[in-house]
Parts: sequence; C-alpha cells; structure tokens
Amino acid sequence: MNTASLEKLHLITLVGPPNSGKTTLFNQLSGKNFKTVNYPGSTVEYSTCKIQSKFGIQADVLDSPGIISLNPNSPDEEVSINSLYNHPELGSPHLVIATADASQISRHLLLAKQLIESGFNVIVAITMNDILANRGYEVDENKLSEQLGCGVVKVDGRSGIGIDKLLSCVKPKLSADADENTSHPFKAFENISKEKLLAMYSDIERIERNVIVPINYVSQPNIKKANEKLKILNPTLKYGSNRPDERTLKIDSYLLSRRLGLLFFFLIMAFTFTSIFWLAHPFMELVDEFFGYLSNSASGLLGNTWYSDLIADGIISGTGSVLVFLPQILILFLILGLLEDTGYLARGAMLIDKPLSKIGLNGKSFVPMLSGFACAIPAMLAARTISNKRERLLTIFIIPLMSCSARLPVYALLIAFLTPPDKAWLGGIALAGIYISSILGSLIVAAFINKFNKKIINTLDSSSFILELPAYRVPKIKNVIRNSFESAKQYIYRAGPIILVLSIAIWLLTYFPNHTPELNTDGLTHDEVVQMVKAERLSTSYAAALGKFIQPVMSPLGMDWRIGVSLIAAFAAREVFVSSLAMIFKVTDEDNLQSSILFAMKDAVNEETGKPLFTVPTIIGLIVFFIFAMQCISTVAVSKKETGGWRIPILQVVIFTATAYVFSFITVNLLVLVGF
Amino acid sequence: MKTASELHFGERAIISDIDNSHPSFRRLLEIGFTPGQEIELVNSSAFNDPMAFALRGTLIAIRKHEADCIILS
Repeated sequence: MNTASLEKLHLITLVGPPNSGKTTLFNQLSGKNFKTVNYPGSTVEYSTCKIQSKFGIQADVLDSPGIISLNPNSPDEEVSINSLYNHPELGSPHLVIATADASQISRHLLLAKQLIESGFNVIVAITMNDILANRGYEVDENKLSEQLGCGVVKVDGRSGIGIDKLLSCVKPKLSADADENTSHPFKAFENISKEKLLAMYSDIERIERNVIVPINYVSQPNIKKANEKLKILNPTLKYGSNRPDERTLKIDSYLLSRRLGLLFFFLIMAFTFTSIFWLAHPFMELVDEFFGYLSNSASGLLGNTWYSDLIADGIISGTGSVLVFLPQILILFLILGLLEDTGYLARGAMLIDKPLSKIGLNGKSFVPMLSGFACAIPAMLAARTISNKRERLLTIFIIPLMSCSARLPVYALLIAFLTPPDKAWLGGIALAGIYISSILGSLIVAAFINKFNKKIINTLDSSSFILELPAYRVPKIKNVIRNSFESAKQYIYRAGPIILVLSIAIWLLTYFPNHTPELNTDGLTHDEVVQMVKAERLSTSYAAALGKFIQPVMSPLGMDWRIGVSLIAAFAAREVFVSSLAMIFKVTDEDNLQSSILFAMKDAVNEETGKPLFTVPTIIGLIVFFIFAMQCISTVAVSKKETGGWRIPILQVVIFTATAYVFSFITVNLLVLVGF
Repeated sequence: MKTASELHFGERAIISDIDNSHPSFRRLLEIGFTPGQEIELVNSSAFNDPMAFALRGTLIAIRKHEADCIILS
C-alpha cells in the first residue's frame, strides 16, 4: 500500500431534477455496496458509495435529493443545495454528474447550466433516451458537449449501457487539477432575477434546437424494419420532440380521467391496504412457528431456572411477538415502492390536492401521509418537500394519526381475538375499517386545527402546488425489492433494541421480587403447580404494584392493571404492547405464539370484577385507543426536531392521548350499554 | 387577457408572460413555464383543480390559481 491510498478519496456528487434517473444511475455505480448517511444536524438522508471496483476508479459517490434549480424552494431543497456547495463531512465535490432527462431536456438543462455557471466541474449524463427515441428523436452528444462546454454522455441506468463511457469521461477529470478546482468559491444562485432566468432559458432553448435531431433510421441495416418503426412513430413526429410520452398520456386518460380518476385512486389505495393483510398471512405463520419452536426448545434445554424463563419468555417471546409482523411491514414498503417507481404517487398527490387544501393541507401532504402508514419518522422527514410552512407543520401534526406499521401487531392480535379463525376475510374488513377510521380521524383533526386554532400553527405563507407528473415506467423490481429490504432493516435496527430492552424490563418487573413464591401445593399436579406459581409470582410483582397504582384510570374502560402496564410499555413503542401482553400472561406453553396469547387472553379474568377481561367492548375500546394515542417516543423526538421546538410534540401527546382515552371510554361504555 | 386556467382540454397556447406579483412566479419559471413555450391542458383532477399541462416534454400539475398567473398570447 502506498500513501496515496490513505488520502481522502475524490468526491463525485450526483445532482439532478426529481425523476431524472439519478438514483438509478447511482445504483449502477454502487452495485450493492452503498450506505446511508445523514446530513449532520438534520435527518435528510443521503446515500454514499465507492464506485464498484470493476470500473477501476477510486472515488466516493454521493446521491443527493432531487432539485430543480440552485435556488431553494423548500427545506429539503435548501439542505440539498447546501450540501452540494459544501458538505460538512465530505467537503465540496471534485466533480458533479448532472443527470438530465433527454425527453425534457430543455427543463433539465437549467440545473446543469446553473451548475456550470457556478463553477462546478460538471459532466452531464443524459438519461431516458428511450422515451425520446419513441418520439423519433435523439440527443447529439457531441454537439451538446460543445455547446455546454462540458462532458456529455448518454446513459441508460436500467441496462447499464453508457456507464463505461461515463466513467471514461470521469477519469481524466479526477486528475491532479481536480483538487485545485474545489478550492474555488462557487457562486450562489439565490434569488435569481426573472430576466436572468429567462435569458438562461432562451440560451437553453437555442441549444436544444441544435442538439435534438430526428433519428436517422435509414442508416440502420434493416431498412424494412426501420420503415415500419417510422410509420408507427409518425403520429408523434408532427408534435415535435416536446410532446409528453404517448403511453403516459394514454394511461392518464384513464387514471386521471375526471370521472374515474378518484375511483381508481381509492381502488389502488384499498388494494394496497388489503394486500398488507392478505399477502403477509402465510409468511407470518412461518415466523410465528419459528419463534414458538425456538422458545420451546430454549426452555426445554435450559430447564426450570430463572435464566431459562428470561431467555424463553423475556427475550425470545418478546422479540418474536413483534418480528411476526415483519412480513406485513415489508409488503407495505414493497407496494409503496412500486407505486412510487411507476410514477403514480405524484398523480395521487394531484388528485387529492383540492380536498386536502380545504383542510389546510397540500397535495404534497399525500406522500408523507402515505409513508405514515409505514412509519411516522420517515413520514415527518418526507414532509420537508412541502414548501409552505403552515401546511408542513399541519402535515407533521397529523402524521402520528396515520396507522403506522407498529400498530399492525396490536391490531392483528386484537382482530384475531374478535374474528373466528376460519373467517380470515372478516379480519381484512376489520383492518380496512380501522385504516379508514384513522384516515378520517386525522382529516377531522386537521380540519379542526385549521379552522379553530391559529395558536397551534401560527404561520402564514402562500400555499402552492407545483408538481411534475413523471412518465409512467415499468418499475425496476430489483431496486424496489432492495429498497424495501433496506427500509425493513432500518425498521428492525430502530425498533429492535427498544423492543428487546423493554421486553427484558417487563420480564424483570413481572418476575421479581417474589420469584419463587412459597405455596401450599399438596395434592396438585405438576402443571397446576406451575400455573399457580406463575399467577402468584405475577400478582405480587413490581408490575402489579405499578399496575395497581394506575388501576383507577383503567377501571372506567373496563380494563385492569395488566392492560394498563402494557399500555404504559406501549408508550415507548406501540408494538411492545403485544410482547408485554405475552409476558404478563406468560405464554410459552404452545408451539404457536400468537394462538397461545389468544388462548391466554380468552382465559383472563378482570381481577377487580371477576368477569372476563377481554370482551368485545374492551377489545374495540383498545383498538380505538390505539387509533388515536400518540405512543412512540422516537416520533416525539423527530417531531420536536422537525418542528423546531417542543410545542407541537407536546400538543400532539396531550391532544391525541386525551382523545384516545375519551373515545375509548365512550366506545367501551356504549357497547356495554347496548348489551355486548 | 387569457390565462392558462381558461384553456379547454386538448387546447394549446403559447405563453406570453408570467405575472410577477404571484408568489409562485419564480418557481413556475424555473420549472419551465417561460414566455414563448407552448402548453396544452391535458388533465385535471376531479375538481378541475389542480390542472396538468404538457410542457417541454413532460406533464406538470399546478393549482388553478397558479395557472391564473400564466398569461397566454
């Protein structure tokens, strides 16, 4: 090894407008080895990688969020632009690769041109050449390179064609003089004047006229085939190169039709949410059986000792009862990824902009709200794309009401209790009902806050909705799957430790101080003794003492201290509710974890009243509680960070949890009143 | 003075100016609504707002009140 390898690697930053194929190109360069880094002091995520070794270039590549120009218009654009000029950790880029969509080159060259004028060392990568070719045109790389005064390479990020050529252009740019380049101060582009913008555009349009040329099919070897192609292309030729993708227009005539657009929208959303339940079911059974088996073998192997209980009940059952829901979370991420990759998400945003704007939100709130069904944390970050501050804060405010995947374990368990196992479809309907109530609930809250309370969110800003509807593309399944797995992994990393720690904590609380109670066991079978010991140990435990303290709050809901303790635990993370119930009701006796929790729940008796603890009213009451309650510490922390203060997160906790309690109280008592 | 919000479906027109007093005018320019460009109203949401225009080879959705500041010739 020589000393050169110890020096900092050259930095290449990928910059481009949204939907310009930037990330696809990044995936080509990185192969599988990329990592996600945060912009220091914020939570905007960037992917970085080293260029795959097969390309023979040593450099770091940074993939930044899409921007339209160097003049920021929303919080996320501001961060992207700042990091481009000088990333606090990675520094300024030695080279910028600017992606530009060939089919809308006049729009996308604006950014490339601003980058060049700012003094960056730029190579332009022209993407989506196939869409332009469908219209019968192509980009003349050499001419464009001449006119812009920088390297220009056509690439196809999907197939990888052109990547070699791009890198052969990159190589010489990363030589010694590249270091010099980064020391130049770059010119900022803030508040560019209208005249300057128009001048840039007219310059770009002049370039566009020179570099977009009809494809010369005659030079192709197979003339007959070429002629056929030309015939098909003829109708679009007369519109020139600036016509949007024909196939996209055709699909939009259905999906965005004025009569059916909203119907399709609701169908697609309904399909998304039902499939979370349907598709995941067989996989969940597998995970469930696996952990049941693991827990059984552990307690069999370790015998009747305290550490056997800790491992089998505390650690394995605790984590298992939550990981059971990983398939559902994965499928949700998968479908969201597919919808985004096809280009439909932007249309969804457009379709519901009007109704959302009536209650103080924005069409752009749609994607954050939808992500909220996976997890509130990335959803709050996604709200950064909303340029209007008031709308952004309101979106963040209602995101915790979206039914996040951490609630799925809870709902799945509670629904399974209510529905007979041979009628799984009933569960699907019940879950759909819960999702719809959570959406309605959030919309009502938003409308309410928007109308009556200027104190919660008191900024005035002009509202706007300007969004590109990208051409429909067949999603690249491989990337979607990879991203879903990545997101699911992040979810486990984030939730896993909390679940593990709390599982152990709850186990400790339920096991001590009276861990080997002295009982009169004359004439009882071994199984009966085990059950008695468990019951005695629990009712004299720390958890019971804590639970009895909050009993007065739980009684009006028809619940007892055991549910109370689980609800308190759920304030750290909602899914802990399930593992906590599993722990308190000590269920490791059976092969199948979920069915054994259900079994224990059916047997449980309210210690105060002597009646069954889990009844239709209390189960529905619990569901209602979970729909509204703000129970996730990480969400509170992110909400504080994103809103820049404690006011909004505290209001969220107080308002949502109070609503949850009141509604749960009303539900339980109404149901009891009508005879359930 | 006709604006983009008054276009019929499938109707094309050339932009003559963007109203400077509108808060979104710079973003409209940046995204490509510049004088001299041809636009076509392609779709709109069920409530006729936002509206989607074909422009510079792509589709851009904007609100009706934003379309109002795009002056056509």
